Parts: sequence; C-alpha cells; structure tokens
Amino acid sequence: MSITFEKVSHIYSDGTPYRFVALSDVDLDIIEGQMTAIVGQTGSGKSTLVQHLNGLLLPASGKINVLDHVIEAGSHPKGLKSLRGKVGLVFQFPEYQLFEETVLKDIAFGPKNFGFTEKEAIEKARHAMKLVSLGKEFEEKSPLELSGGQKRRVAIAGILAMDPQVLVLDEPTAGLDPQGTIQMMELFRELNQKHHKTVLIVTHDMEQVFNYCDRVIVMAKGSVHTHTTCEEFFRDSSLCNSLAILPPALIRMKDALKEKGFTIKDEMEDIHELSKEIAREVKHG
Amino acid sequence: MGNFTLGRYIPLDSPIHRMDPRAKIMAMLFVLIAIFFPAGWIGYGIIFVAVSIVILLGKLSFTYILKSMKPMMFMMFFLLIMNCLVLKTGEPLFTIYSFTVYSDAVFQTLYIVVRLLLMIMITTCLTATTKPLDMTLGIEDLLKPFTKIGVPAHEIAMLISIALRFIPDLIDETTRIIKAQESRGVDLKEGKMKERIMAILSLIVPLFVSAFQRAEDLANAMEARGYAPGEERTRYKVLKMEMRDWILLFCAFLLLVGMIVLSRFK
Ligand SMILES: Nc1ncnc2c1ncn2[C@@H]1O[C@H](COP(=O)(O)OP(=O)(O)OP(=O)(O)O)[C@@H](O)[C@H]1O
Ligand SMILES: [Mg+2]
Repeated sequence: MSITFEKVSHIYSDGTPYRFVALSDVDLDIIEGQMTAIVGQTGSGKSTLVQHLNGLLLPASGKINVLDHVIEAGSHPKGLKSLRGKVGLVFQFPEYQLFEETVLKDIAFGPKNFGFTEKEAIEKARHAMKLVSLGKEFEEKSPLELSGGQKRRVAIAGILAMDPQVLVLDEPTAGLDPQGTIQMMELFRELNQKHHKTVLIVTHDMEQVFNYCDRVIVMAKGSVHTHTTCEEFFRDSSLCNSLAILPPALIRMKDALKEKGFTIKDEMEDIHELSKEIAREVKHG
Repeated sequence: MGNFTLGRYIPLDSPIHRMDPRAKIMAMLFVLIAIFFPAGWIGYGIIFVAVSIVILLGKLSFTYILKSMKPMMFMMFFLLIMNCLVLKTGEPLFTIYSFTVYSDAVFQTLYIVVRLLLMIMITTCLTATTKPLDMTLGIEDLLKPFTKIGVPAHEIAMLISIALRFIPDLIDETTRIIKAQESRGVDLKEGKMKERIMAILSLIVPLFVSAFQRAEDLANAMEARGYAPGEERTRYKVLKMEMRDWILLFCAFLLLVGMIVLSRFK
C-alpha cells in the first residue's frame, strides 16, 4: 500500500473563461510511514494537490491510488467517506470550520460522523485534546471565544480524533507563535514515529523541512519540480538557490564556512554536529 | 459553485469593455424597456441582431451566454406545461390522450422564452463587460440627480459595490467550508434527518461567523482610512463620455423609438 499519482491533472472552472490548469501531469510516489514536506511558491498548486488525497477534488485526468482506494478521472469514485476517515486533511486556516457550542463537542464531531458512538467519540476527543496540549479547562468553552492559535489546535484535534492513518496538513503552523509551532511540529513527529502515521505537510518554512521531514516535494506552476530526500535536497544550497528558496540557517552556515576554506562533510544533522566539525577543523588546522 | 456564470465580469479587452459604464447602463435600460413593447417577431429580430453585434464586439461567446440560461431551463419548461394546460385558443396542433395542445400555448411560451433570452443577453452584455467597481461608479453618477429628493446615491452605490465584491468571496468560503466539513465525514447528500440537519448546521454556523468577521474587518479597515458616509469624496477614477459612448446611447435610444413605432403599426 502506498500513495501514488499517475499523470494527474486538475482544472478549475473548466469550460468557462476562468478555466485554470492548477495541476498538470503530476506523477508522485509518496512513501508510507514517512514525513513528507510539500513546498513551493504561493499559487504553485500545493493545496490543490493535497485535496486530491481524500477525494475532495477529483482529477480531470490521470489516476490516484490512496490506501487501496482508486480515484480515476472520469469515473465516479466509490467509498469516499471511508477514505476520508483514513486520510485526515487539515485545511489551511482550519479555525474557520468550528461550529459546535463547545470545544469538546466540536472535536468529537468527526469521529461521530464516522460511526463511533457518542461515548467513544467523546473519549477520542479528550485524547486528541491531550495530544494538542489543550487542557481540560477548554472542554466546555465555546470555540468562538478562543484565540487564533487555540482555535487552530481545536481544528487539528478535530482531525486527530478521527485517528486517520494518513495525516495531511496544509500550512498547519502559519500564524502560530514560535513556541506553538515547535509544539505542533514535535506532535507531528511523534505521530509519525511512535504511531507510524504517514504525515504530509505543506509548509513554507525550510527549517521545518530540514529539522522534521524525511522527504521533500517541490511544486512549481502545477507540476512536481523535485521529489527527493531531505538530505539530498539540502546537500548544498545550489538547488535551493535555483528555486529561490532560502536554505535553512545551518546549511547557509556550512556553505559560508566552506567558502572560507573549511572542509566540512556534507551530511549534517544539527547544530551540535556542525560545531563539532568546526572544532575539529580549528584544532587541526 | 465555481461554474456560476450569470452576472459575472469577464476580464477581456474590447471596445465594449472600455466604454463608459453610464452609457452602458442607460443603453441597457433603453433596450430592456424596448423589449416590453409588443413589436412582434420583426422587432425581436432587430433587437436580437443589435445585441448580437454588441456581443461580438465585446468578444463574448454565445455558448457562454446560453450556459448562463441553464438555471432558467426548468422554469421555462414549467411555463410551457402550464400554458398547454390553460391556453385553449388558436389552431389545435396535436392531441395526446384526448388532450389537445393549441398553437397559442406554444407561441405564447416561445414569446416569453425569446424575451427572457433577450433580457439575459442584454444584461450579460453589461455585467460581463463592466467591472463591478465601474458599475457602481456609473450607478452613483446616474443617481446623483436624485440626491436632491433625498436619495443617498453614494451610500447606495457603496452598498452595491461592497455586496458585489463579497459574492465571489462568500462562494469561495462556502466551498472551503463544505470541503473542510466533508473531510470530517459530513455527508451532504445522504444520511438520516438528524444527520442532515447537523451537516447543514456545520456549514451555516462557520459561514455566518466568517461573514460577520469579514464585515467587521472591512468596516474597521474603512474607518481606519478615514471613510465617513456623507462626506465629500474625491474620485480616483473620473468617468468621461466619449464619442463611442454617445453613439451607443443614440443607437439604443433609436432602437427604443423604433420598437414603439413598430408596436403602433401592428
Ligand atoms: N477554486 C478555484 N478556482 C479557480 N482557481 C483556483 C481555485 N483555487 C485555486 N485556484 C488557483 O489554482 C492555483 C493553485 O492554487 P493552490 O491553492 O493549490 O496554491 P498553493 O500552492 O496552495 O498556494 P498557497 O501557498 O498560497 O496556499 C492558484 O493560481 C489559484 O489561483
Ligand atoms: Mg495553499
């Protein structure tokens, strides 16, 4: 089982003067159990791409395979609801989808739709609240009286409560404070490593890609520009530079050191490793 | 939702697009009034040709206009049935199960359909070639003379322009919320009564919340930039009638007079 795209295209408003080809001939093979980042400039088709994963958008041509579900252009896909239970999609700015009177009820809404009893759904909701570090005191609050960041957590918890196998997040940390961003990213990493969820995350933040993800997909003008491992992608900054992406600070540092004559090996995990390398160089040189 | 075409602006570059919105609005009114004079098939033929010329000049496609008629197909069909049941004058055309359909029923329906088609063609000529903002400027100017009798011309124009500005946004927002809730397992097409009510609630509440939020944001943004209704404001864009605008107005007026004359001589 894996997630594959074969020659997938998507056209918005086909047949009107507003026709727009948002995806063209996308071929992808997303590896399960990994954390994959999707990056690309605004308008490059990232959100369009991820909405194909749970059948919210259907391809104009091509074929998609997600966890044994086949979505093919032209034919009406079956079992979309069960697919949506398995692929949890958190939208860009998901705080606008809250509607229940209380936070707990809102989070329990998803599981209830997928056939869990009231009691089970509440249980799942409580668990999801713990995951996103929302305390018990929030349970009975109205979602409307929360701050933006708290709403975001509620919305993400609403998807986590469905316990999906694949978690797709469209810019989940945009607009969160630095502390909250780190908490969220740590949570996604934990879901990926401990609970073996496949995580796909749309982001503009290269530090997140570098620090948390295994693979990276670069979208450009509706096509997949690059799909590779993060190590490969950040090996040197030339690929980033050619894409007008600012590489993570660590990579920039490494490149700057190399330019000044240091010899530093290419595989670089974190700042400790880099400092060790520098120390070694300085002592010997 | 994305295929909603009626009344949308189509960004093209054509002589019609560049015309003064005031001329276009007035011309549309003239021709709309002209349709209501029973000038017979010749009259409608003339109007059709005139409007077709405008459509061609405006680089609009006929299929696009026909498409925007789609929502009205059902209504027209219903009208035909009603007319067949009620109208019993004219020649009998054919009989199904001892039920006779008379020619007047068909002609009456056709008459209405043709008028409706013309009306949609004419209004589309205006809405598809005029930016919403220009349209409101035009409306404001045309209402100016009525400010003396207490018509708040500027406020009405501002209201219309804000409403127009928000329609696409709200449509987008609705599709977004539908998608977000579908991701949470909401099934809008099937389910028990209680589930369906829940499903609809899960759309309406967020939609209202965001609509009010947007309204408040916009009001604040306008106030922050010093907007006050009733205050004298200068304009960024100054409308100016040119030769071609007068020609359009004149032609539309001629069409109206022509229809009045034709309907007298029938
Ligand atoms: N409903 C729609 N109708 C028509 N065009 C659309 C629609 N939604 C998106 N588009 C267009 O498709 C393109 C891709 O949009 P998409 O939302 O996938 O971009 P994105 O990569 O997610 O950008 P961002 O980083 O800003 O979120 C954009 O150019 C956008 O204008
Ligand atoms: Mg996006």
